[in-house]
Amino acid sequence: MADADYAALDDGTLIRLIALAREDALSELYDRYVRLVFSLALNVVGDASTAEEITQDVFVRVWEHATQYRADLAGVSTWLTSITRHRAIDALRRTGARPDRNAVTWAEVAPAEEPAVGGPEVATTLALESARVRAAVSELSPEQKQVLVLAYFQGLTQSQIAEALGMPLGTVKTRVRLAMQHLRAALGDLALA
Amino acid sequence: MPTDDHVTDLLPAYALGCLDEEEAGAVVVHLASCDTCRAELRTYQATCGELVHVAPTATPSRELKGRVMAAARQARSTQPAAASPSLPERIAGLLRLRAPAWGAVGLALVTLLIVSNVWWWQRSTGPSAVTLDSGMRVIDMAGVGAASEASGTLVISDDGEYGTLVVDGLPSLPADRQYQLWLIRDGQRTNGGVFSVSLEGYGALVVASPDPLSSYPGFGVTIEPAGGSPSPTGDQVLAGTL
Repeated sequence: MADADYAALDDGTLIRLIALAREDALSELYDRYVRLVFSLALNVVGDASTAEEITQDVFVRVWEHATQYRADLAGVSTWLTSITRHRAIDALRRTGARPDRNAVTWAEVAPAEEPAVGGPEVATTLALESARVRAAVSELSPEQKQVLVLAYFQGLTQSQIAEALGMPLGTVKTRVRLAMQHLRAALGDLALA
Repeated sequence: MPTDDHVTDLLPAYALGCLDEEEAGAVVVHLASCDTCRAELRTYQATCGELVHVAPTATPSRELKGRVMAAARQARSTQPAAASPSLPERIAGLLRLRAPAWGAVGLALVTLLIVSNVWWWQRSTGPSAVTLDSGMRVIDMAGVGAASEASGTLVISDDGEYGTLVVDGLPSLPADRQYQLWLIRDGQRTNGGVFSVSLEGYGALVVASPDPLSSYPGFGVTIEPAGGSPSPTGDQVLAGTL
């Protein structure tokens, strides 16, 4: 199968071909999602070298375990980012580092400034998703964004967030719950696509 | 936690992975028997999956792709060995995991392992079931059939009363299906509890048993309708013996 053919395939088909050990399919998946995976890893660990190690680990894991992917449970990008986030937070906890210098703040969430990766169709889809998510997040209060960042990018528990911010645990719990409920309602069909 | 006492308010934080251990454990136990909360959780997990789009984008080095493809080829050529890590390696890996689903493991498995100093067992080889100095038993459960790459570890307390099953590499199931543990004795199969696994194939179960777990010489896991069956009806995916 020529390279052009792989570029035309949807994500689910690529995963099925990866399960059949088609290296070209892995190459295409990498081209589509490497920036998404690497960006997430980098925003968690704050170090490019470690983020590249995590990115490599994620794609090799997909290569080895593609048969475990269930399209009815999550989209491919959700699957990839779930693996990435767990690996990155695990790495962060092993080193005990807190990449405060590079931490995402979400304080100035604005529409996406550039399309992501892959072919035009994938890039357009990712750009549209990014714009909708950014719009939804921009509607959260600064306090809600703050607790989400600490949970999502730094892997802190609610108790750790309360301690870090010097606020009551109940307040943190409420902010997390309300923020997630808002995002779920705002993203709705996008998140479940 | 009764099935009708839903954990709705905890699900957003559980999906984010920021629940503290005790609450996460309660959620895991509840999810094992509640279709409503599992469906609700899935919507929050999907929302979490979208948050990645807020992260500032960055580009890795051009060399990374070559390293990924080379590592993939290497992984494929050595997959049989890589797919069969030793039990201690798996336990060590499981203990390092901090994914949301491991809240229950933190409560049950970690306590058991620390108390028993399971690391001493690391030098042991061969047998599929081991009794530690502390009296605690560790049973290696192997994947069978279509789930040959899966594995599980059943840890039974020294008095035989309590057990925790952790699994790795089991495929995620449709919403109307769950895994069910069977306690096998004299040809009879008794329900040991039902559980689901994460997208990555991890799962945990605090084992419920009418009799001491140590009185059952065999254990198996099958795929059953959500909530479990009175007796096995689906494909077996894991098997182990005491």
